[in-house]
Amino acid sequence: DTSGTMRVGDMQFGNALDPRGWTPMLYPADPDGMSYLHAGMLRTPTGLPYRFPPAAADVKPLGKATDWTYSGVVELGFIHVGGGRNAEFFRQYADWKSGFALGLLALDFQNAKTGQYVELRGSRLSGDDQFYRLRAGQYGRYRVEAFYRDMPHTVSTNAYPLWNGVGTSDLTLPSPLIAGASTPGQVAAAHAGSSRRTIGLTRTREGIGIEGTVWRNWIGSASVTNEKRSGTRLWGGSMFFNYPFPDNGGVLETVRPIDFRTTDVNLSVRNVGRIWRFMATYTGSFFRNNQDHLNFESPFRLYNVVGTPQVADIKYGQFSLEPDNDYHNVRLDLSRELKGNGQFTVAAAYGTMRQNDALLPPTTCTGTGGIFIAPPVNYTFNCADWNTTNALSQKNANARIDTGLIDTRLTFRPTPTFGWHANLRWYREDNKTRYLAYNPITGQYGYISENGSQGSIVPGESGIFDPRNPLLHSANVTVRNVPYGYTDTLFELGGDWEVAPKQSLSATYTFDHNQPKYRERKRVDDQRIKLAWVARSVGGATIRASYEYASRTGDHYNYDPYKQFFSESLAGFVDPVTGIAAHTVDDMRKYDLSDRTENKARLILTYPWGDSTTLSATFYGSRDRYDTQIGRQNTSTTGATLQWDWQPTPATTMNVYLGAEGTRLGISNVADNESLIGSNIGQTNPSLGGPLYPYANQWWEFDRERNSNAGLSFSHDFGRVRADVSYNYSGSFGHVGYNYASLAALAYHGPNAAAAAGDSFPDNSYRSNSVDLGLSFRFTNQLGMRLFGRYETGSFTDFHYAGFDNTLDYDHRVYTDKGPQRHYSASLVGAMLNVKL
Amino acid sequence: VAWPGQAGAQQAAPASSAPLTQQDIARMLPATDMGAGHGHGMATYTAATHPGDTSTATSFDAASIPTNPLMPKADPIGSKTCIACHTQENIQASHSLHVASFRAGSERSGPQAACETCHGPGSEHAKNPTAPGSIIAFTHDSKTPPAEQAKVCLGCHAGGARQHWTGSIHELRDLSCTDCHNPMARVSPEGVLAKPSINEVCAGCHQDIRAKFNRRSHMPLPEGQLACTDCHNPHGTITKPLLKTDTVNETCYTCHAEKRGPFLFEHAPVRQNCLNCHDPHGSNQQTLLVAPIPMLCQQCHTMTRHPNDLQTAAGMGTGASPDERVMGRACLSCHTNIHGSNNPSGSKFHK
Repeated sequence: DTSGTMRVGDMQFGNALDPRGWTPMLYPADPDGMSYLHAGMLRTPTGLPYRFPPAAADVKPLGKATDWTYSGVVELGFIHVGGGRNAEFFRQYADWKSGFALGLLALDFQNAKTGQYVELRGSRLSGDDQFYRLRAGQYGRYRVEAFYRDMPHTVSTNAYPLWNGVGTSDLTLPSPLIAGASTPGQVAAAHAGSSRRTIGLTRTREGIGIEGTVWRNWIGSASVTNEKRSGTRLWGGSMFFNYPFPDNGGVLETVRPIDFRTTDVNLSVRNVGRIWRFMATYTGSFFRNNQDHLNFESPFRLYNVVGTPQVADIKYGQFSLEPDNDYHNVRLDLSRELKGNGQFTVAAAYGTMRQNDALLPPTTCTGTGGIFIAPPVNYTFNCADWNTTNALSQKNANARIDTGLIDTRLTFRPTPTFGWHANLRWYREDNKTRYLAYNPITGQYGYISENGSQGSIVPGESGIFDPRNPLLHSANVTVRNVPYGYTDTLFELGGDWEVAPKQSLSATYTFDHNQPKYRERKRVDDQRIKLAWVARSVGGATIRASYEYASRTGDHYNYDPYKQFFSESLAGFVDPVTGIAAHTVDDMRKYDLSDRTENKARLILTYPWGDSTTLSATFYGSRDRYDTQIGRQNTSTTGATLQWDWQPTPATTMNVYLGAEGTRLGISNVADNESLIGSNIGQTNPSLGGPLYPYANQWWEFDRERNSNAGLSFSHDFGRVRADVSYNYSGSFGHVGYNYASLAALAYHGPNAAAAAGDSFPDNSYRSNSVDLGLSFRFTNQLGMRLFGRYETGSFTDFHYAGFDNTLDYDHRVYTDKGPQRHYSASLVGAMLNVKL
Repeated sequence: VAWPGQAGAQQAAPASSAPLTQQDIARMLPATDMGAGHGHGMATYTAATHPGDTSTATSFDAASIPTNPLMPKADPIGSKTCIACHTQENIQASHSLHVASFRAGSERSGPQAACETCHGPGSEHAKNPTAPGSIIAFTHDSKTPPAEQAKVCLGCHAGGARQHWTGSIHELRDLSCTDCHNPMARVSPEGVLAKPSINEVCAGCHQDIRAKFNRRSHMPLPEGQLACTDCHNPHGTITKPLLKTDTVNETCYTCHAEKRGPFLFEHAPVRQNCLNCHDPHGSNQQTLLVAPIPMLCQQCHTMTRHPNDLQTAAGMGTGASPDERVMGRACLSCHTNIHGSNNPSGSKFHK
């Protein structure tokens, strides 16, 4: 009786070769089944079939003078991988390699008299895909555990990074490219010679834990896990827009290093009595990132849009990578049984997450940044005033979020046929981080946007506000962080009635009162009614059906609550004569805050069909409507699954599965009339239908997706030989369509804009077919051989990668990932010797 | 290895092909080893009832025998009697973690921690094996309500991970422990599950969720690296989706600790709930996103200038006007630190 399902992670030890992590072929299904007294299989209370149990393991004494016995199996052999072995979807989470593999090593030692045991389980596909776990203890008293595992995650096998230094925090351009001085043609030529690389990471985890009786009814547990995550991920790199400024700016898809280490500590103590149950837990998590930044060289020269000589030489970019952080959480849970078949439970928790990493300077540029037009119109800045941490108001982040939780629940079942419960939950997330973007060197506020590139292309957009400088005293830039947080109070009242034997109805009302901080609404109320019907004997079938209706409302929606975080809130800010451009359209409603009605229904059916067959099905759907003209407007989901299981004898099993789901998402937006920005004609008007957001610029977009799945598996034991075959199909289809009030809504206004836009993107699709075949030969009770093979084929299209097969370079844009393979087929065959130990 | 003293009911059956009568069965049963008819005094094995027992056996040997509400007058009869008929069950159950632990205890201090610890006193069942409800049963045809079944299990397994079972969605939907667990056989590497793996157990009802794991981007459940119970506690928690932590984000941070921050500059929907943008079970988009970018971002970002233009096929790499707001990582090409930036110039997540 352990607390494993209380803690996140490491509940499953398996791999793609054996996702279950324990399928010993030398333990075939016991031909006698579960019972001499019941023909056929047994079923769960719901009606699903229990699997026929495997034949009991051969248990052997460990020695003559000991009560210890043992059993074990080892499965090892070779795997050969062929075809498109590097296909991204084939190896997304499996490090398939040709060569030796340990399918399974399982050793169990038991002492029947003392109740002590030792278990070892392991498997190895490769050095990046393996696990080993040791458990030992005494039943009912204590358990100790230690494990080691490597888990692969391939992000792309089709990446062609332009830069040298991939995997480090400094990306440099290959020769002959020169940072800030290369042409698109030169970049494309150099990029054409880039080598294909795999982008991905490996999670290496190890952990130890102990749990057991401390004293009388007190049970304690302690565990420590450590994870090293190493590899690479696709990343970005912004040197300002390219789309409005041909042969200018820079949009770069870079590669960042992953070099994380996380240590988690879990401690708990609990006391379980007949009346009281108490539990205290501590969770600590300590994340360390060994790379705090990513520097990259940008190849392209930048020009300012006013046509004056370029005084800036901005050619480097930089990212801050995730800071180290510490997390602590203490929680107390207390339950008490009450008269009248009731229970009262309260949980209270305090948590804090903190980080105090040293901040990087606002920029890495050198020399002069910005634009010089003509005296006195000088938008330049001295990089030396900003490329040092002396340019910061604080050297460290000093970031902190505290959380608090109180959750109480009262449950009563005064009669066997009626029960009710009430729940009150309070949760707060308090962000205590405060940062003011002030440069004590210059006395200016703000930051250096995109490492200086933006302000070196567009005059006055460096990101700096200076109340003393007429050129910058109206620059409305971010000067403070937004310490988002919220308080959520939830009340729930529900009851259930057994209206007939094995049939019950329930109704639950939930009121969720959310108070976000520094968001567009200060109050969001979600009311929900849920009705459920459970029938466990409708012609032998079990039906679980539910329907819920929810309505979300709130207080006044402030479309721009962020003024206090911009320089317009500072002393010395001078309103521009043309006014401040509207932050956004006032009819916008962000979907996590907007008014919404929701309808959801679900039905799960389990039907035992005769002695050996089971039908199960799920039907589900949801409809969400958002009360807004701009933003997310609706979502819907409709789906069904159907499964047929057949277990006529312990030797034969068969399963067929079908599933289909359709979803739809609709949004609306409105393109602003950018020609008004900076003018005095309506740029301050946030109204939909106004000059800045005219109805003619409104547009609508919908994403329609269909998913279908099918699967079949069959297994039959012929005696010495068991054959198994399975087939799986998964397909998805995505269609993003749109319409618009006029061409003014479009991003592209060039020649033949309507024809170029069409009415939709090309459809996205993903299909995967796989066939698995296996033959397991049991030569003796102790020795066997498993031969197996898999053939997998798939196809993929995604409009985001359109054209990338031909080139990754588009003017001042450089991409790295060509995306998953359009078509692939891969195969593997293997032979595994199985031996009982 | 089976329990000692098994009688083998089938071997002792009459040669006649006529079906057994209840009297036949009663005659065939061995004498009880627990003093059936002595009331419930044996129902709880404690130091007080057995002062001479100084063994260090496991705590299971003190497990109580639950009352069967449908047979309140039944008495314990001991496992030896049960096994006389349930031979195969004994063989299988002895190899499950659950019963193996009982077995270890009973060998030291008595057989009470055995069949009847879960199934209730068996005297009425022995007399009339086919009578519905004569024993606490845990399968589909059981007359024992799921709540009573769960009460038996919680007799030993209350608290800890099951502290919040009462009132949880699985309890309210009339699930029994044995909907997911089969303590009578070892079909899974651990957890005495009803199916060979946690994920297969959950998929028995949550078939639509299982299907999501077949999508283009997904958590590595089909590859055996994760289980549903890595994030969810099916035994009940204080959250509706049965998350193991207090909020969605805290669950995500457990593996994605780098996203925890806090960051100098936060992105509101990210800090509030990861599910605003991600479907953790699986998605047709990259990185578990709930919608294709830039559409995902344009649900909220209507701000003046570049965010609110309608992106169309013209902006693709093969389009009339390739646009970085559509191609590749789209918005994330520039706003890369979208989960939060710790850079003093990172308020727009460029840095």
